[in-house]
Amino acid sequence: MPDFGLSEEQRSLQELARKFARTEMAPRAAECDRLGRFPEEVMRKAWELGLMNLNIPTEYGGSGLGLVDQCVIVEELAHACAGMTTSVIANCLALEPILLGGTPEQKQSVLTPFCSSYHLASFCLTEPGGGSDAGALQTRATRDGDHYVLDGEKCFITNGPHASLYTVFATTDPELRHKSICAFYLPRDTEGVTVGREEEKMGHRASSTSTVRFEKARIPVANRLGAEGDGFSIAMRTLDQTRTPIGALATGIAQAALDHASAYALKRHTFGKPISEHQAIQIKLANMAQDVHASRLLTWNAAWEIDHGRKGTLESSIAKCFASDAAMRVADEAIQVFGGYGYMKEYPVEKLLRDAKLAQIYEGSNEIQRIVIARELLRRYA
Amino acid sequence: MVVVAELRDGRLVEPVREAIGVARSIGGAGATVIGVYVGPPASEGVGEFSRAGLDRVVAVEGEPFARTTSSARARTVAELLRELAPRVVLLAGTSEGRDLAGRLAVEWEAGVATNVTAVEPLAPGPIQLTRPIFGGRATQGLELPGERAVLALRPHTFPPAAASADAAPVERRAPTLPQVPVGAPTMTGFTASATGRGPDLAEASIVVSGGRGVKTPENFAIVEALAESLGAAVGASRAVTDAGWRPSSLQVGQTGKSVSPQLYIAIGISGAIQHLVGMVSSRVIVAINSDAQAPIFKVADYGIAGDLFQLVPALTAEVRRVRGR
Amino acid sequence: MEIVVAVKPVPEAETRLRPDASHASLDPEGVKFVLAGYDESAVEQALLLKESTVGSRVRVLSFGPAPRTEEVLRAAVALGCDSATWVEHPSDLLPDAVLSARCIATAIAGPFSGLVLCGRQSGDEEGGIFAGALGALLKVPSLGYATNLRWKEPRGQLTLQRSIEGGLEEVESSLPLVVGLQQAWNDPRTAKLPNILKSRKAAIEKIPWEATVATLGPHAIPGTVRRTFRLPPPRTGAKMIRYDSPQDAAAQLVRLLREEAKVFP
Ligand SMILES: Cc1cc2nc3c(=O)[nH]c(=O)nc-3n(C[C@H](O)[C@H](O)[C@H](O)COP(=O)(O)OP(=O)(O)OC[C@H]3O[C@@H](n4cnc5c(N)ncnc54)[C@H](O)[C@@H]3O)c2cc1C
Ligand SMILES: Cc1cc2nc3c(=O)[nH]c(=O)nc-3n(C[C@H](O)[C@H](O)[C@H](O)COP(=O)(O)OP(=O)(O)OC[C@H]3O[C@@H](n4cnc5c(N)ncnc54)[C@H](O)[C@@H]3O)c2cc1C
Repeated sequence: MPDFGLSEEQRSLQELARKFARTEMAPRAAECDRLGRFPEEVMRKAWELGLMNLNIPTEYGGSGLGLVDQCVIVEELAHACAGMTTSVIANCLALEPILLGGTPEQKQSVLTPFCSSYHLASFCLTEPGGGSDAGALQTRATRDGDHYVLDGEKCFITNGPHASLYTVFATTDPELRHKSICAFYLPRDTEGVTVGREEEKMGHRASSTSTVRFEKARIPVANRLGAEGDGFSIAMRTLDQTRTPIGALATGIAQAALDHASAYALKRHTFGKPISEHQAIQIKLANMAQDVHASRLLTWNAAWEIDHGRKGTLESSIAKCFASDAAMRVADEAIQVFGGYGYMKEYPVEKLLRDAKLAQIYEGSNEIQRIVIARELLRRYA
Repeated sequence: MVVVAELRDGRLVEPVREAIGVARSIGGAGATVIGVYVGPPASEGVGEFSRAGLDRVVAVEGEPFARTTSSARARTVAELLRELAPRVVLLAGTSEGRDLAGRLAVEWEAGVATNVTAVEPLAPGPIQLTRPIFGGRATQGLELPGERAVLALRPHTFPPAAASADAAPVERRAPTLPQVPVGAPTMTGFTASATGRGPDLAEASIVVSGGRGVKTPENFAIVEALAESLGAAVGASRAVTDAGWRPSSLQVGQTGKSVSPQLYIAIGISGAIQHLVGMVSSRVIVAINSDAQAPIFKVADYGIAGDLFQLVPALTAEVRRVRGR
Repeated sequence: MEIVVAVKPVPEAETRLRPDASHASLDPEGVKFVLAGYDESAVEQALLLKESTVGSRVRVLSFGPAPRTEEVLRAAVALGCDSATWVEHPSDLLPDAVLSARCIATAIAGPFSGLVLCGRQSGDEEGGIFAGALGALLKVPSLGYATNLRWKEPRGQLTLQRSIEGGLEEVESSLPLVVGLQQAWNDPRTAKLPNILKSRKAAIEKIPWEATVATLGPHAIPGTVRRTFRLPPPRTGAKMIRYDSPQDAAAQLVRLLREEAKVFP
């Protein structure tokens, strides 16, 4: 990876995302956070500008971007509001299984409508009984002629209440664990699908999260992605693609924290000078800057590996894990720089800490990332 | 030296008097200042112009000019300039004046500058000027090396010329050029802007803000009246918005709006850091506060220590008087 | 028909202004150049007019140095302009508005019978003379402070409003015409991601500076010289006004705002 700079094209994408983040997201961030409001108008505008289906190839009408491009955009969006960003990029997560496991006909029929008008999709993997251990999922898919019948419950589903399509992972035989998992897609209006109430969350309060229940929901066999038993691999390969942008999301949060803290430190005076002239504060800012910079480079590096056809499992796990831990440290220190004001909801930094926390948990918790990192690492020595 | 007249509703606009003042001051004692009027017949306005401190006036009046915009008049003005051959033409920096400036620069082949806030007295060699750029965030020193110059002055920046007791001689001419080319822009109507609704807080070039020193929601009208007289937006400290005297959309500061207007007037605001952060980048800050030690005076450019209930109404009256409304 | 838009790359609003080594101009180091609000309005207006008449196109022109000029042209193409012409200028300094108008007029070339839109003033020097100068050079009428342009029957007639001192003026005009647009009379559009990607690959016609000089001859020398570029001095505490009466304080303050600070409206 010799070139650390962005191309002119990437710069103009960054500029678009920054402008959108500043003018559409940032002004609503505090209000949506306070009320737990899902800003549908922001989602629609993001769709209109092409900021939503970033990973869908242009032949289906999507933006067809590589991962570095996506990371550049996601960081800018998350700088303004991580919660809205999670909802904006949820389509990438939910539609990636179709890109990975779908036939040309399935891709054409499912992806094209998402690019020709505004729709949301949700990725339904996590269950109340297990998140990290995806092989243990309990949602059952029972074959019935040319249909499957789906029974079970998914939880923490981003955009669940607003999606018109779900990609669902279910098992034909729980005993066989990951060997029996299948991936499906089904429209929200399928009989037997019910969406639970909105969860009340600590952070990412502009994003919408709910359970999705399936009770004898019938799906045509034609809606299965890949063969029976391909589901686990599709899920894991999906997360291999989407993990890196979570690193970018965390970097955006951290950069916002650093920006707020630096600007504040120059203006706040104690003991006759700006606090930015106290060395204790300078050291904090310097440490924060290191974390932000490292997060960004790790993220771009992982994205670049994957864009160049490599698996990038180690790099993307490192990027996601490091950047989200760093975002927590940086947001925490930003509050400290703000003193009592940082603890007040009227100031923007306490939200960053609440938002950063999720990045350590979802799309594979950081404990799981460390397991993956260690496994990849030790393999090289074994 | 030539000054071009601009009338509104048949009356001479104030910035033209300022232009005459500048012509007198930069031209020195011996300079002749000629007034040029090109427009619809306006005996009253031209009369006023002739008593505004000029040496003589050339007026080209024609009915069709009534509904034309500046570009139709520019040719006639340029024609006159070729004959009068002044060194400098001064225009009021109004929308009309600025529209005219660019055309005259080309038609009369002169150097041009607008928004001028200072002109050095004329001497042999280039004309030296100053003007604000980047919304007043920087100042530019400019040189016009040519033999002819068109200058549009920033309105309300220079003192107006004193009116003269005797009218300067007025030479009336019939229009010679085709006045209005077929199809040229024609004015078809005018709607006077409604007063009362001020500009948007974040974008306004002047903001007048009130703080707890105003004491009651009713008293806040004093702040609003000053804002109205200046065409300014109204802002407030959090003390005011928290008390519900005015909506929180008016709050200026760290957790309110950040503003950086040309002029910020803080009335009865102490200058807490949370307020200052939202307005210190204003170009010029004026503070009115009864406490001469209030921190707001540390960041202000001009301060008046005293009772706002006396000072602000007096200021509003003075602004109304100077702005002529 | 072809609608022409002239735009200028100017530092984005948040730029921290710094003088360059000569103290005569802005230091362009690290500055991001964009379409200013007035120019954005001109592009938006051109696109709206284009959308209201089948078969029309928008051509955008800009005068200035690399790479900033090409960048704003691409931005305009991403917004929907059909073709772009870069009139090259070798200098990084803020260009003279009349010279800009001469160079753009040269690029437009030939007897002009259409519509040119531009911002009513540039976002940096804010002179407001470009539209008038260009109109005079093209020998067509011009006006500034315009908003809300609409086609009117018969074809070729335009209606518009001008927001000037004291109110809104209604104007009708036929073509040819040069119009300077008032800022943000409505919400200018944002370029969509696929169009941004396409605009990166769009062909941009370039008119080299030597070609412009050859056409302009002695007129290629600007009529103004930028001598100094200064930032306001840091604040050192308020000048406190001493007064005999509230009226006296008010009169002193108004005079200072007019004559010293030069911010009186
Ligand atoms: C706001 C939000 C949005 C979400 N959006 C979606 C979505 O759209 N779609 C979706 O499918 N899921 C979504 N999730 C679910 C998310 O991916 C899971 O919460 C996550 O994978 C963790 O699963 P869990 O909550 O069941 O925790 P558990 O798996 O129960 O883990 C509990 C703790 O144990 C640790 N742990 C687990 N296994 C090990 C181990 N082997 N070694 C060491 N430590 C271990 C975990 O790291 C964690 O700290 C979302 C979650 C949230 C909070
Ligand atoms: C989390 C947090 C966020 C905040 N965010 C903001 C913010 O965004 N914006 C903001 O403005 N504040 C903010 N504040 C509040 C800030 O700390 C101050 O409390 C507030 O700005 C004070 O408002 P004030 O200057 O109007 O009132 P005061 O500080 O009470 O000052 C009133 C002033 O009026 C003067 N005065 C009284 N009578 C007269 C008179 N007759 N004539 C002339 N002068 C008179 C007094 O001398 C005094 O200086 C925030 C505070 C906190 C804790």
